[in-house]
Amino acid sequence: MGNGIQAIHPFVMFFYYICVGFFAMFFNHPLFLLAGSLSLIAVNLSHDGGRAMKQWAPLMIMMTVVIIVINPFINSRGTHVWFYIFGKQVTYEATLYGVVTALSLLMILLVFVSLNNVLNGNKLLYIFARILPRTAFLIMMSIRFVPLLKRRLTEIQDVQRLKGMTMTQGTLRERAKSGMSMLQILLSWSLEEAVETADSMKARGYGLGKRRPYIPYRMTKSDAYWLSYLVIFFALCVMGGLMGYGKIMIYPELGTLHLSFSDWIVFICGMAIALFPVFVEGREQLKWNYSI
Amino acid sequence: MGRSRKYLLIVSVILLALLVISIVFFHYKAYLLLSMIVIAAIMIPFFARFEWRDVGGREVVLLAMMAAIAAVGRVPFAGLPSIQPTSFIIIMAGLVFGAESGFIVGAVAAIVSNFFLGQGPWTPWQMYGWGMMGMTAGLLRNTSWMKTLWGKCTFGFIWGYIFGWIMNMWVIVGNIEALTWSYVVGIFVSSVYFDLAHAISNVFFIVVFSASWMKILRRIQGKYGLLQEQPG
Repeated sequence: MGNGIQAIHPFVMFFYYICVGFFAMFFNHPLFLLAGSLSLIAVNLSHDGGRAMKQWAPLMIMMTVVIIVINPFINSRGTHVWFYIFGKQVTYEATLYGVVTALSLLMILLVFVSLNNVLNGNKLLYIFARILPRTAFLIMMSIRFVPLLKRRLTEIQDVQRLKGMTMTQGTLRERAKSGMSMLQILLSWSLEEAVETADSMKARGYGLGKRRPYIPYRMTKSDAYWLSYLVIFFALCVMGGLMGYGKIMIYPELGTLHLSFSDWIVFICGMAIALFPVFVEGREQLKWNYSI
Repeated sequence: MGRSRKYLLIVSVILLALLVISIVFFHYKAYLLLSMIVIAAIMIPFFARFEWRDVGGREVVLLAMMAAIAAVGRVPFAGLPSIQPTSFIIIMAGLVFGAESGFIVGAVAAIVSNFFLGQGPWTPWQMYGWGMMGMTAGLLRNTSWMKTLWGKCTFGFIWGYIFGWIMNMWVIVGNIEALTWSYVVGIFVSSVYFDLAHAISNVFFIVVFSASWMKILRRIQGKYGLLQEQPG
């Protein structure tokens, strides 16, 4: 089952990701988004010391920088002119809009890095098995076929190499052709096998009676507490957002960046949601190290 | 399946409510969120049909296998960037097994390959793009146009571009307030090369392999009597 965040019920985690994704796309105050991105970086660090994040880092950094740098130059909407370049105006509005968009996108990518880490295949399918049982079953089976097909493909490649068919030599056309021939061999091999698999499933009673999902995760008391924690803060965030807090006016004219008292309350609620995995891990650490 | 029907009904009502709420309340800024909801609302009915329809075990396994082959197809082509056989396999599945099966194979292939390559905000758009590719192939399969090789090639070429445009959409929707024509043109120009490679590889595969793939799929279909008629 794992510890800390891995032991939290998938529904609670799924709700957390919905909340954070909503946060990233709903608010547009740069401070909110910056704090959100930083707390998601902390969340990713708490999962695995940032190993998964490192793989995505080049893409994320490139995307953020490109949007921030490019946006002011291709977009000259706005009234507060900063400076002129090649006869085009560069406005504060466009610059800030680039920053906001980039941070929002960065936050969404960070959410997905964490999601790939915590809600791995089984948990994600467990969530959808309750809503779309047959589709989840189909996806589950398809995922199981992938390693099997990869093994078969290696086998086919080994045999075909002896016959001189290879993907590493020849023109692009020849290589594409031999690649597809291998897939064709894989197709005719695997389709027959698929029917056999289905027959053995049928022999063991597939399709008699209703399918019930196997439930490997139980909602514990602490899961319920965390869920209500998330629901309360999420409701506060949504209400605050609908009243206009945590948002700034960029177009047509830049509004104020000043944060009022209510803005700060919405901000704190948002942080309470975004940092939830860190709290879970931190609580475990405290318990492990300091409880008597 | 009574239970799942109830769940689905609830889900679609919630989706509709969310859609209305977002139009009424979020008159600004939440376009990416809105687009995700819209895409989900478009795709839910297709999955719902799949849940309710009477599909046997063999059919389910066959569809899972087709989706897995479409996802694994990327492996031998890893050394040839921008040539992907996935679209070709999905078009073949749609042509032989029909519109609904084509949609399922395309959408599931997107989810499955992203389980290995990483899920992201692009997953729903990919599901939508490939799902629609399979579905349109299935819808058009009985027209005299799609029975000719030229028709199929045109179809594959056009879808190479449409798929690229659908994938461009998520970048554009995420940045919609900055929308200027030069921005949109810039995005589309930057993807022209990739879309062209996609379209040309579709055409190449259809010219060289479509006859033999359809023969293999038709044989399985006829031998075991699978996925032959799509009721209503």
